[in-house]
Amino acid sequence: MKNSENEYRLEMSGISKSFGVVSVLKDVTLKVKPGEIHALLGENGAGKSTLIKILSGVHHKDSGTVFLNGEEINPKNTHEGQVLGISVVYQELSLVNDLSVAENIYLHKLGASKFWMNWDKITKDAQELIDSLGFTIDASAKVRDLSIVQKQVVEIAKALSEDTKVLVLDEPTTVFDPTDTKKLFDNLFRLRDKGISIIYISHHLDEIIKIADSITVLRDGVDTGTMAVKDTDTDGIIRLMIGRELKDLFPVRDAVIGTEPIFEVKNLTAKDTLVHDVSFSVRPGEVLGIAGLGGSGRTETAKLIFGADKKKSGTLILNGKEIKTKSPVDAAAHQIGFVSEDRKEEGVFLPLSIRRNVSVTNFKSISGKLGFINVDNEYKKVLGLIDKLNIKTPSSEVDVKNLSGGNQQKVALAKWLSIDSKVIFIDEPTRGVDVGAKIEIYNLINEVAKKGVGVVVISSDMPEIMGISDRILVMHDGTIYGELQKEQFSEENILRYSIGKALKQHN
Amino acid sequence: MTLTLKQQLSSPGGILKFLVKYNTIFIFILLVIFSALISDVFFTSVNLSNLLKQVSGIGIISIGMLLVILTGGIDLSVGSMVALLAVTFAILINLVILPLAIVLTIAIGFGLGSVSGYLVAYQKMAPFVATLALMTIARGLGFIYAKGSPVTFKTAGGVFMSNFANNSTLGIPNIAIVFFIIVIATMVMLRYNVFGRLIIAIGSNEEASRLSGIKVNKYKFLVYAISGALAATAAIIVASRTNLGSPNMGMSWELDAIAAVVIGGASLNGGRGTAINTLMGVLILGLIGNILNLLNVPSYPQQVVKGAIIIFAVLLQRFESK
Repeated sequence: MKNSENEYRLEMSGISKSFGVVSVLKDVTLKVKPGEIHALLGENGAGKSTLIKILSGVHHKDSGTVFLNGEEINPKNTHEGQVLGISVVYQELSLVNDLSVAENIYLHKLGASKFWMNWDKITKDAQELIDSLGFTIDASAKVRDLSIVQKQVVEIAKALSEDTKVLVLDEPTTVFDPTDTKKLFDNLFRLRDKGISIIYISHHLDEIIKIADSITVLRDGVDTGTMAVKDTDTDGIIRLMIGRELKDLFPVRDAVIGTEPIFEVKNLTAKDTLVHDVSFSVRPGEVLGIAGLGGSGRTETAKLIFGADKKKSGTLILNGKEIKTKSPVDAAAHQIGFVSEDRKEEGVFLPLSIRRNVSVTNFKSISGKLGFINVDNEYKKVLGLIDKLNIKTPSSEVDVKNLSGGNQQKVALAKWLSIDSKVIFIDEPTRGVDVGAKIEIYNLINEVAKKGVGVVVISSDMPEIMGISDRILVMHDGTIYGELQKEQFSEENILRYSIGKALKQHN
Repeated sequence: MTLTLKQQLSSPGGILKFLVKYNTIFIFILLVIFSALISDVFFTSVNLSNLLKQVSGIGIISIGMLLVILTGGIDLSVGSMVALLAVTFAILINLVILPLAIVLTIAIGFGLGSVSGYLVAYQKMAPFVATLALMTIARGLGFIYAKGSPVTFKTAGGVFMSNFANNSTLGIPNIAIVFFIIVIATMVMLRYNVFGRLIIAIGSNEEASRLSGIKVNKYKFLVYAISGALAATAAIIVASRTNLGSPNMGMSWELDAIAAVVIGGASLNGGRGTAINTLMGVLILGLIGNILNLLNVPSYPQQVVKGAIIIFAVLLQRFESK
C-alpha cells in the first residue's frame, strides 16, 4: 500500500489547530517530496509557525494526520521530533550563549546522553560539520562571543545531524549578506541532492523563486494550494498570500501636504552607531518612507532623533526652531513620537491596561498641579482614542497582552497621538499583524497625516513602503543614499539604492 | 577564550583585561597580602585554620546556591534549613547510629529541597517566593523540634563528630577538606558532567534548552534538592563543631551565600558562574570578617565593609562584560 504514497517524504493532511477560541489552522495539507526544497509562504499570522511547531512536536494538532516515510507520527515533544529526523531552525535564535559552539550543536544529544562529557569528540565533530558548511567558526568558542551571522550558522549546523530527514528553515537569511546567503543556498542544494526534504519559510519572494522547487501558501490558517515554482511568478504568489490585488491594500492618499517642512534634520551623526551625515526634512501631512536593508541604520536614525541613542553632531529643526533631544523625555516634550519596531520590548506595556498604556505619555494633560490624575479626563481621552483608532476591545481596562498584534500596534500609536505629536516615527508598522489590521494601520497613518502631522515610516516591506509613502529615502551604510519621488517608486530602484548603486538610466 | 595566557597578556591592554577577567582571584590575593601586612597574627596556622573552619559551613551552602543561581533561580531557604537540619541531626545522633544519622539528615535535606524544587519546576512558582516560604517553614520547624532550646550531642557518635569537626588532617581542618572536596566535585561536574552542562544551558536559555528536548523541569527540580542536601551537609558540620543543634543557627546565611556567589562573578540571570570563583567569593567574605576581627573592628562596621565589597566586585564585573 505504500507504493503510491512513497512519492512523498512528509505528508501532513487535514491539520487543524485552535488556541482557545482562536482557530489558527483549518484543514491544512502540506506534502513534501524527498530531495525537494519546498517553500512555505504566508503573511505573518497565517499559521506557518504553528504548522511547523506541530510538525516538530512543540504544539499538538487538534485533528489531522502526519505521515513520515509512509508511517504515521505523533511527536509529543521536540526531542521525539528530532529523533524522527525532523530538525527546525527557528527564527528567533535559540542558542545557549554560555555554552560552546560544539555543545550547542549537540545540545539535543546531551539531554539523552550518558554521564560524562566527551569534549574531544563533540568539538571535533562540530568543527568538521561547520567546516563542511564552508564557514569559519571555532567549535570550542563560546556562543556569546560570536557574531550574529556566526550564530545563525551554528543554528543551522545544529539542525543538521546525520539522521535529519526533514529540515525546516524559518527566515534563515535575515541577518546574512549576499555572500553568506549564497553559501547557505549552496549548502541547501547539496542537502537537497542528498535527498533531504527542506521546508523553507521566507518573505523574500525573490529567494523563493531562486531556490524552491515547489510552494505551499497559507492564508489565515487555510492552505491555498501547492504548486511548482516554475508555474508561477511573484505576482501570482502575492495574490495567493493576501487574497486580493496588492493595490487594494493601501488607502488613497488625500492629505494636503504643506509647503514648509515641519521637521528638518541636518547632518546628524551618531556617537555609537554607524549613522552619519543624515539630512532630510518632512512636511506636515506628508508620509515619508525610509527604506534600506537591515543594518543600514534606519532604526538607529530614528532612535538618534528621538534621543534614545547618543548624538555626536547635527541639528534638528522643528517648526523652524532648533531643538535638542538629549533623551526620549526631551523628544516627547517637543511632541515627537516614536513607535518602536520591537513592539513587545519597547513599544507597549504588555501587562498593563490600554488606558494605562495610553496615559503614560500624557500625564501632564490629564493631571492636576500636584500630579494627581484627573480620572474623568483620562477616561475621556483614552475612550476617544480607542474609538478613533478602532481598537477592538471590550473596554479600556483590558490588558494589552490580550490584544492581537494589530490592536497592540494601534495602542502603541495611540500613546503618541494622545500628546498631539507633530512628527511621528513609525518603525515597521505592520510587522506581525494580519492583513485586516494592516489595512487599518495604513488608514490610520493616512488619518494622522491628514491632521498635519509629519509621518516618517521605516519599513522593510517594499510593497508597503511604496504603497503608503509620498516620498522614499533609501539608507545604505548609515546614511541616506538616495531619494525617490512617487513616480520613481519601484522595488528595483529601492534595492539599487539599498546596496549603494545608482539608478539605471532609462532612455 | 581560545587565547593562551601568553597571548592574552601580550595583547593591547592585555594585562588590564586579564586582571578584570580574573578579578575575584586578584581581589582575594590582594586581600591576603593586605591582611598579612597589617596583622602579625594573620599568617599563623591557628588563625588560618580558624578562618577555614568559619567559612566551611557557608561555603558548602554557597555551592548549592551557585547551582540554583546557574539555572536562573535563587534559594532563600538554605540558612533556615541549616538550623532545622542541625537540630534534626542532633536529635538523630542521640537516637540512631552515627552513619544512619548522617544519611538520614542528608536525605531529609534533599527532601526539603525537593519541596522548593517541586514548587519552582512543576508549579511554576517564582523561586524567590517558593524558597521564602520554605525559609519561614524550616526556621519554625527547627524551633518546634528543638522545643526552643539547643539539642546537645549525648552519644559516642556525638563525640566522634565533634572530634572530626574540630581536628585537622595534614594541617587542614577536616571540615574544610569536606568543603574543598565539594568544590572540586562541583568544578568537575560543571565542566565534564552532562548534568552540569545542562544546568548551565537551562540558566542561559531555558526555551532553547526545552526545544532541544532537555527535561528542563527535572533539572530545575534537582538543583533545589541538591541545594537542600548541601544545606544538610553544612548543618552536620556546624552542629558537630559546637556539639549541638540550635534553631538559631544559620541566621541569614542565605544572604552570605548569595553574596559569595555574586562576588564570584555569577549572574543572577543564570548561565554564568563557576565553583572556583564561588570558592573565592566565600574566602573573600571570610577574609574580610577575619581581618576586621583581628583589627578589633566591631561587627556593625564590618557589615558596612562587606556591603561595599559586594558593590565593588559587581561593578568590576560589569567592566568585564563590556
